[in-house]
Amino acid sequence: MTAAVSRALLSLASRSLGSDRRTWAMAMEAEFEEAVEDGKPMMFAIGCLIAAWREIGKHSEGRLIVANYALALGLLIPMAVLQFQQAVGFLPLVESSPVGIPGSGAEPNPYLIWSQNSAIPILLITWTLLGMAHLCLAWMLVDGDWPRIVKCGTLIGAAMITLALFMGVLMLDLSPLRAQFAELAIELAAVISISRWHIRVYADASREMLAR
Amino acid sequence: MGRNRRPSKQMLLLLEALSARTQQWRHGYDLMKETGLLSGTLYPLLIRMTDQGLVEAEWREPEQPGRPARHAYRLTNAGVAFARAATPAGPITLTKASFA
Repeated sequence: MTAAVSRALLSLASRSLGSDRRTWAMAMEAEFEEAVEDGKPMMFAIGCLIAAWREIGKHSEGRLIVANYALALGLLIPMAVLQFQQAVGFLPLVESSPVGIPGSGAEPNPYLIWSQNSAIPILLITWTLLGMAHLCLAWMLVDGDWPRIVKCGTLIGAAMITLALFMGVLMLDLSPLRAQFAELAIELAAVISISRWHIRVYADASREMLAR
Repeated sequence: MGRNRRPSKQMLLLLEALSARTQQWRHGYDLMKETGLLSGTLYPLLIRMTDQGLVEAEWREPEQPGRPARHAYRLTNAGVAFARAATPAGPITLTKASFA
């Protein structure tokens, strides 16, 4: 257990060091077996993590890693929580008698009660899907998996448009969606900025490697 | 520019360990045990000293089969000169206990 946790910490340290310090990450990993044999893998791994984090602000790739974590923890995960909250809001309606969903007016539209109640599972699934997609997006961003980030972003956009159309047709209250669209625009701008930063950092790193 | 600064106590410990046998390649974990420095201190020092050209590093074949190749370190000529200049009075006698 200790060795597994230590190995995970060491892996985190290696990822934090970035490509220009890849040799040092490999050097730390190579010494890990000695630490395990010596019975001190945890202390060694924590030390390596501290070393990596001390280096993180000194190189552009490290600053990009910090920004990725900040975006994932500060924006994408709270967005996922908001969407799960929206999904949870539909749960009581699934089990209750068919009274309809309050629309843009105060009361449910009596002519749309049946349609609205039929749509509740789809709305619940779509909001849950959006929450899950945001969690995946946060993970992919930290992992730096840009092809999947693009796919996940497209899925989020498509789900939001579907939700807006669906809720509009059913004459539901669209105010939660307006806030979501504003937050999504901020999120999109942040992800695009990070992607441009990513391209710049890795282009510089490639140039430096070719120059060596 | 960094070389004009007075070396830290930890750096002096590392210089002492490396200058004891300047031609011998030393592994990171062995240096940790010899100097009493933790990995969180040793590796940033080694990184900085390598960037400054005081230490050279190379991959060495593992002593035991099945183990990964290990990174080994030794002082460069500039590093040996720096170690001598940093300790003009002779061999450094700093130990871990002297910082306690």
